Amino acid sequence: MYAKTVLIKDTDTGREDMTRESYTRLLDCLRQDSLHDHVQVVRVSDIGIYEHGLVVKILPDNMTYANVQESDLKRIADSIKDSKAIEELVFKPKAKQLRLVLRNCGKIDPESIDEYIGCEGYLALKKALFDLGQQKLIDEIKSSAIRGRGGAGYPTWMKWNFAREVKSDQKFVICNADEGDPGAYMDRSILEGDPHSVIEGLAIAAFAIGASKGYFYIRAEYPLAVERINKAIKEAYDYGLLGQNILGSPFSLDLEIRLGAGAFVCGEETALISSIEGKRGTPHPRPPYPSVKGLWGKPTVINNVETLANIPQIILRGGKWFSGIGTQTSKGTKVFAVTGKVKNSGLVEIAMGATLREIVMDICGGTLSGKPIKAVQTGGPSGGVIPQELLDTPVDYENLQKLGSIMGSGGMIVMDEDDCMVDIPKFYLGFCVEESCGKCAPCRIGGFQMLNYLKKITEGKGQINDLAQLRRLSQAMQKASLCGLGQTASNPVLSTLKYFEAEYNEHILNKHCPAGKCSHLVTYNIIEEKCKRCGLCFTNCPVNAIVGDKEKGYSVIQEKCTKCGRCFDVCKFKAILKK
Amino acid sequence: MAKLNKEELEKLSKIPRDSGDWIKVGMSSCGIAAGAEDVYNFFIEEVKKRNLKVDIKKCGCAGSCYAEPLVEVKVEGLPSVVYGRVNKDIAVKIIEKHVIAKMLVNDCIFDSLA
Repeated sequence: MYAKTVLIKDTDTGREDMTRESYTRLLDCLRQDSLHDHVQVVRVSDIGIYEHGLVVKILPDNMTYANVQESDLKRIADSIKDSKAIEELVFKPKAKQLRLVLRNCGKIDPESIDEYIGCEGYLALKKALFDLGQQKLIDEIKSSAIRGRGGAGYPTWMKWNFAREVKSDQKFVICNADEGDPGAYMDRSILEGDPHSVIEGLAIAAFAIGASKGYFYIRAEYPLAVERINKAIKEAYDYGLLGQNILGSPFSLDLEIRLGAGAFVCGEETALISSIEGKRGTPHPRPPYPSVKGLWGKPTVINNVETLANIPQIILRGGKWFSGIGTQTSKGTKVFAVTGKVKNSGLVEIAMGATLREIVMDICGGTLSGKPIKAVQTGGPSGGVIPQELLDTPVDYENLQKLGSIMGSGGMIVMDEDDCMVDIPKFYLGFCVEESCGKCAPCRIGGFQMLNYLKKITEGKGQINDLAQLRRLSQAMQKASLCGLGQTASNPVLSTLKYFEAEYNEHILNKHCPAGKCSHLVTYNIIEEKCKRCGLCFTNCPVNAIVGDKEKGYSVIQEKCTKCGRCFDVCKFKAILKK
Repeated sequence: MAKLNKEELEKLSKIPRDSGDWIKVGMSSCGIAAGAEDVYNFFIEEVKKRNLKVDIKKCGCAGSCYAEPLVEVKVEGLPSVVYGRVNKDIAVKIIEKHVIAKMLVNDCIFDSLA
């Protein structure tokens, strides 16, 4: 049996991996100190620290040393012997994840209510029902200053308070699990990993406003989430945590699932309500807000999955505790789904106020290709693109808005130099145009026209005054659209115009795409001096646009070329020029 | 199961869990897509075949989607660690080396969540 465990990993990617050499060396050092029977050394694949040289972590002391030189290994072995830390080598992490919402994800069995109860589950509901009562409960949420995690960041307590104050024979609570942003899947993970925390949050919300009926609105594309929520609801009923007289109190609540058919606009609360009512999912003008007049005309609170998953913790530990985390205006943590050209894609939960660079570089290990980051996109199709220079901005609702993006539901897409800043907004706008419900003209027509301009530019047919036109249309859409979809659909365009106008100009004036992404503006040619006449491009071209033979060499017929880039990818001698 | 009242709920919450040796397999969409179901079934069979006293449990996604399927292992005398990109070969090593021989497996641990 070993008393200690040492994890070892070389985290520099710029040179040859030295993990094995250092591992052997450390074993030797331990043997010299006759510690080899007490300490086991393990090479690991990922130590959670990136580009910090050789990293050594000692368990159970939880001592981490970074940038360790080979000469330090002996000292480390000695330090284990005398259990004394080597101060100057200790690694102090800049950014660390703080797991409140994801506290149980990956820890408990999501299909067992007993395991959830074993992690203080449903104790917050008990506290709310028996110790707090409605008013104190809402006060607690108010002092926590939590804001909606679905995107807009509206204070949760205000929604609840409005709905509570309205007199009505029937009130409703709804959990908005219609997560639709491309690349975002925080809500799915919470529903799949810790479904009871959301049910408990929803039950607390229902008690706070006096609702006796609640709905989960989940998109049908999340079959596993639906299955787990279904099972969790059933278990909660069996335990008397849902249904009549919950835990023996006068409070009763029934929960049901409604499946969304995958329309993006149904994540907007008024459209979502229509959809639950069995109508076509289109938004309505607000006010009246759902808190006053919502589902079937009754006061309704709609909260996002992540917001609800926060509620039990706030009740148990108190609003003051929660408001101690985060920045001045944005409290608590936020879960981001980091995807795109990033090394470690996945979910990251950080306290508000961490910078984008910390998230992408320190926690997620930088870009996959090792190329520099060009920009980070937050907030999905409603968000904007934040350029590399501004990545040191602390993340909160206001800061992201100032930069022309939004917090959104928490999608974060990392882009490197191979991403084109005209192509990206074209993709997002294309998404919004397809998902627009068509009810209001600014969104339906404005989006379509803007997309046409972007298509023109990427095809090399753009004119310089198209940019002014894009800006005008954006403004019109922002001001006149009926719901959030149209109001924010132009954000990706506006933010790229703000930070990457030079790239638009390059497309329009020089008919050139710097990232080489826009296929109409790229040509492939064979560099004769570099070509070894192997014929690989010739055999791989799917449209026979490469002609020639091994004697005479090869060339590209531009008229036939579909710019698929296959020849560029297969050439081993870098003899294909992409311009 | 009878309906709980508040005292019973409190009692239930105090029952200690996660005692003894266990292996947890991340079984959310991301894990299953990467092959977690096979890994989970393999562990179940293997534990039965070798008559080991190890609980095989399911859990949700721990967040490191790039390294799915994730498997967390806790056995007496060793720190609990997370193995990433687990396939059958690594699963065999986990059983033979980690669980039985009580040695951590080289080159498979993803220690990014600590």
